[in-house]
Amino acid sequence: MDQAQAIFFAFQVWCNIGAIIALVFLTIGIDRIDEDAQGAYVFRLLLIPGILLVWPLVLWRWFILETKRDVWKNRHQPPRHAHFWVAIIFAITIPAVIIIGLSVRQTWPTNFEPQKLSLLQEQSQ
Amino acid sequence: MSEKKAPFFVGYLGIPKALKGFLLKLSILIFAGFVAGAVLAGATQDDPGEAGFRFDYGRQTVTGVLETKPYPLLYVTEGNERIKAGHTMMLSGQGKTPIMANLSQLEGNEVKVSGIILKRGDLDMLQVAGGQRGIEDLSKQGTIPKSEPLGKWKLQGEICDGKCLAGAMNPGRGLAHKACANLCLLADIPPVFVSSNPIEGQEFLLVAGPDGGPFPRELYNYVGQFLELETDIERRGDLLVLKINPSKITVIK
Repeated sequence: MDQAQAIFFAFQVWCNIGAIIALVFLTIGIDRIDEDAQGAYVFRLLLIPGILLVWPLVLWRWFILETKRDVWKNRHQPPRHAHFWVAIIFAITIPAVIIIGLSVRQTWPTNFEPQKLSLLQEQSQ
Repeated sequence: MSEKKAPFFVGYLGIPKALKGFLLKLSILIFAGFVAGAVLAGATQDDPGEAGFRFDYGRQTVTGVLETKPYPLLYVTEGNERIKAGHTMMLSGQGKTPIMANLSQLEGNEVKVSGIILKRGDLDMLQVAGGQRGIEDLSKQGTIPKSEPLGKWKLQGEICDGKCLAGAMNPGRGLAHKACANLCLLADIPPVFVSSNPIEGQEFLLVAGPDGGPFPRELYNYVGQFLELETDIERRGDLLVLKINPSKITVIK
């Protein structure tokens, strides 16, 4: 299995798990955690592509809401307290990635002259 | 300045006087920063050189003998002002598509081919027009020139897709172009090895598989990297062809 096949296989596994979770969540879970969704069905089809991709987040929110751990006020507080450190980290990591990328890139072998090793006839003898 | 008197910027109102100087300095600084960033990033890139589609030549029509292995090649027998008789022309389809289905049925036949030239220095390729306008079978068996073995060579350089390298994209090589190059190779576009220095007077070689067939998919990961190869080379018409040896490929550090 080469790298591309491995990435594609991992994506397939991820989406298959997402499909199972979408099936369970949209038939059972959503009615339990969102009373506004009860009796409404057509819109659930629209949620399937999103759930395929972010199913861990769906599971996590389902768990939080199901176990009544959700603090409604906190959910709507913007996470601005993290912005300062995120900005600092970005300001360091982005130039670092560029500099590392430039420093490890290959150098074109300008001075290498092609070398003739043998003739085909010599190899066959 | 007290909190109450502090100037406050509102987008749809005029700029407060106290903030004008600050805004001007910040604008100049940001603009200069972006210009400096663009210049620095540009300075790290290699010059892609002169290459491209030669639409200015117009559509070229030539006659020759078609060979389809490892990739579509035309041994030109009746040329024109731009493509001389005796030249071996690599062929590609439109975009990233093969020239036509069942092209191998025309193997060894004389055909009339029509299309647009791509050119980078000594490297050229003909992008064949679609459908009947592109290839016309003249229903006549031609003679494919005998290949001339040139022996085993040690080379350094890069494997690219011949079409982007010849000017379909600029730059059409390097690691950033690897995914594009591999998509081209999947569409039977001839891969080309760019040598660090000319071999028998040529800098560009068509790449074939170890058995003389197409470049193996298992080796696509080497495309776009600088490599050292030990490989057999042969001349077909005026084109050099290397038969890649998977066990003799080294990525240059």
